[in-house]
Formats: sequence, C-alpha cells, structure tokens
Amino acid sequence: MYEEFKSHEIANVLYATGSDILTAYGEKNINISRYMCVNNPRYYFQVNDEYVKNKLKLILFPFLHKGRWMRAMEDDSSSFKSAMHDINAPDLYIPLMAFVTYVLLAAFFLVLCFCRFSPESIGVQFSTGLMCWLMQVLLLEGTLHSLGGGGGSGEIILVPLLDVVSYAGYTFVGAAVVMAVRVSPHPVRWAHLMFCGATLWESFCMGVLLVKIVKRILVFEVPIFDKQMYSTNKRNYVLLFVAAAQFPQLFWLGNVH
Amino acid sequence: MCEKRRSYLLRTHGQAIQRSAGGFPLRPQQRRPPTAPFQPQRSPNPLPFLSFDVNSAAASTSFSSAPHFPSTAVAGGIGAAGFDDEPPLLEELGINTKQIYQKTLSILNPIRVNHHLHEDADLSGPFLFLIAFGLFQLLAGKLHFGIILGWMTMASMFLYVIFNMLAGRNGNLDMYKCLSLLGYCMLPIVMLSVLSLFVPRGGYVIMALTGVLVIWATRVCTRLVVELANCGDEHARLIEYACFLIYMLFSMLVVF
Repeated sequence: MYEEFKSHEIANVLYATGSDILTAYGEKNINISRYMCVNNPRYYFQVNDEYVKNKLKLILFPFLHKGRWMRAMEDDSSSFKSAMHDINAPDLYIPLMAFVTYVLLAAFFLVLCFCRFSPESIGVQFSTGLMCWLMQVLLLEGTLHSLGGGGGSGEIILVPLLDVVSYAGYTFVGAAVVMAVRVSPHPVRWAHLMFCGATLWESFCMGVLLVKIVKRILVFEVPIFDKQMYSTNKRNYVLLFVAAAQFPQLFWLGNVH
Repeated sequence: MCEKRRSYLLRTHGQAIQRSAGGFPLRPQQRRPPTAPFQPQRSPNPLPFLSFDVNSAAASTSFSSAPHFPSTAVAGGIGAAGFDDEPPLLEELGINTKQIYQKTLSILNPIRVNHHLHEDADLSGPFLFLIAFGLFQLLAGKLHFGIILGWMTMASMFLYVIFNMLAGRNGNLDMYKCLSLLGYCMLPIVMLSVLSLFVPRGGYVIMALTGVLVIWATRVCTRLVVELANCGDEHARLIEYACFLIYMLFSMLVVF
C-alpha cells in the first residue's frame, strides 16, 4: 500500500498542477473532455522502442513524413490514443532523454575544446537548457493564444501544458545532434562550417516540425465557423515567426562556451 | 656482606627497599613477604563501577562500599544482559558484511546477473563504494565528495521517475531499492577511477576503458532493475539508455 502511494506521489503533484490550470479556464466555454488524459502524466510515458525510433525519424526529417499529422482518437472518441499506437502523440520520454544527452554532450565538448571541466559547468549547461526549454514553451503558448483567441465567442484553444512542454522539448533532439556533430572528430578548419551547417539544418527541421504541429492543433481546435474570423495571412506570418525563432535558439544552444 | 644485600635489594626492582621501624634495611630473613601492587579483585565485569548485573551483585567485593546501582533503577536498554550478551555492533547497525561481499561478487559478472541477492536492498554497500570512489578521486587531486552525493541523489530520483512512469501502475521500484541498485552498480566506475590513476590522462586507453566499464555498469543495472521490479521487460532498452546516461555522467567525473 505504501509503495503504491509512493509511486503515485509524483503523479499526484502533477495532477494537482494540471487541475489548477484547468479550473483557471473553467469559466470559458471549452470542450475539455478530450483532454482528460492531461491529469495523468503517465500518458506521456506510454512509449515503446518502435515509437521512439519512428518519432526520432520524424523529428529529424519531418518533411519526409508521408503519413498524416492528425492525432488518432480512441475508439469511443473519448480521448486521444496513447503514444504506443499513434506516431503523432506527444510524449515526455524523448524530450527528457534528449535534454540530458544535450547537457552531457555540451560538457564533453567543453572539455575537448577548452580543456576546462568542472562539475559546475554541467550545472550551468543544465540551467541554460532549462531556460531555453521555457522560452520555447512560452513561444508556443503565445502562438496558440494569439492565433486562437481571435473572435468574440471567447473560445480559446486549450492545449494541455504537458503537450506544449513535450513539443517544445523536441528541440533538444536537434540540439543534441548539433552537439554530437561538434564533438565528433573532424578537421579543425571545417569545424566552424560544420557547426553552422548542422545548426542551420536542424533549425530548418525544427521549424518545419513545429509549424506542422501548430497547424494541426489549430485545425483541430478551432471550430469551423471561426475560420473566417481570423485571416490566414496573420496565421502564416505567425507560423513563419515560429519557424524563424528556431534559428537563434539553436545557435544559442549550440554555442557552448 | 652489606653490598651483597644492597645489590640484592636494588636488583629486585619494583619493590621498595624494606626498612624496619628504625630505618635500617631489613635482612633477607626478616624481609616481609612481597605483596603485589594493590589490585582490585577481578570480577567478570571489567568495569565493576558500572555493574548493572542482577546476578553478580557480590562480584565487586573490593568496591562494595561504593554506591551500587540497584537493578530496578535500570529500565530495559543495556538492561539485564550486560556487555557480553549484546549483539555485535555491525549487526545492530544492520550492516551485513557477508551480504555486501556476495552482492559485490555478483556485480562482477556482467553476463549473468543474479537478482535474488539484490531483493533486499541495503545502503551500506553503496555507501562504501561511494566513499571509495571519493577517496580515489581525492588521490587524483579532485575533491568530489559533495558532488558525488548530490549527483547520486539526482540520478536515483531521475531513474525512479522514469521507471515508474514507463512501467505504469504496476511499477513497484521504490526509492530505496533504486538507490541501492544504482550504488552497487557503481562498482565498475570505482574500478575506472582506480585505473585512471595509473593511465595517462586523456589518452585512448582511458577512453576505451571508460567505454567498456560504462557499458558493463549499464547492462548490470538494467538487468537488475528489470528483473527486480515488475513490468520492466518491454521497456528494457529505454531504461538502458537512461542508465547509460547516468553512468556516462559519473565517468566524466573520473576521466576529466
């Protein structure tokens, strides 16, 4: 009994946070029945090997994805399918692992190129990475609010916070790849070129991924009759901004000093 | 005659030269029998002042005049047993050295992992390994005790969260077991820190050794975690990557 309680402790804390956020939006007219899974952070960890492999392929080469981008619903339309059955479902395992990999590779790079390692530098990289994750979350939330909040009906797009956290965390897969490129042995005179090339490539991929995800959320959430209320021009500019914001972010993440 | 007596008396050191009442040294025939220096009566209890024995109330005869604590005043505690009947210190502290030794030996085999030994977790083995790790780092000139402690805590919380989230409602890895397993599987890293003292820093040898030992630690840790806690089988690769990251982090402390 005690062990059961202990294993639910963390779930309870996240549950409390999730329900607080939901009650804050309670006065608006929102259909949240689909998002009952937000109270259960375990939803984001229902992954298996195959999902991880395919999702990594999706993140690194999003333009090669031939399938649909919509998330699948459960058979009774009550909630979204878990990650094991749906490649488009968000998860928290990949962002967490990618984050730790990025921090490790950054520390490795610091040692190799500057011959200066202290355990505190890992702490600094950790904090920098967390700050970057937070900024991505804010960017995505801002985008969703600005694109969904238009119109007098007062409907806003409600996406669970953990969903946004997980989408934002996919950046670290790109960042880890960039650091791996920097760390791998290569001729010194190409080092800068390879770093710039890898960062540009990954920013482009991340931009495509995030734009596709935001578009999918907008298509899914905003009801049909609202489509005329906001201009597609504004939507396109905002999405372009999201994609362009990936470039400075990845340069900042890759620029370890 | 006088010199013989004096030299005899002087040779027997430890004895005062015995003199008669008049102050002249006594002849050997008149010498009083030597008495040993004053000794308390030997009792079974080495500290007769603190004799709480109910049974040997008459043991401390030489100190019988001294206040003698009544047995009723002592409640439980050291109680009626006395020092001879108390359990040994290590057993009282819960440190089972034989079990620690067996668990350590089981870690040394990376191919076949005997998880039955690790079913009851203990922290004294990991504590020993971490102190040894810190000491070997100290020999290399790095003071990392606090860092090892902090990183170990964070790593075990990380593994705990990851495993319990992946395993769903059936995962029953508790924090104590997690910390115990992580600590025991640190043995290869401790060996790495020993070897790094003798091998040139930053060379290829130490990199190759790091690779081998980290993979060893990862394999053993994953096997143990998967076999000891329920529902770990289908997530073995995922947990393996998490353990790999943890041990890579510790090996960076050693190598750099």
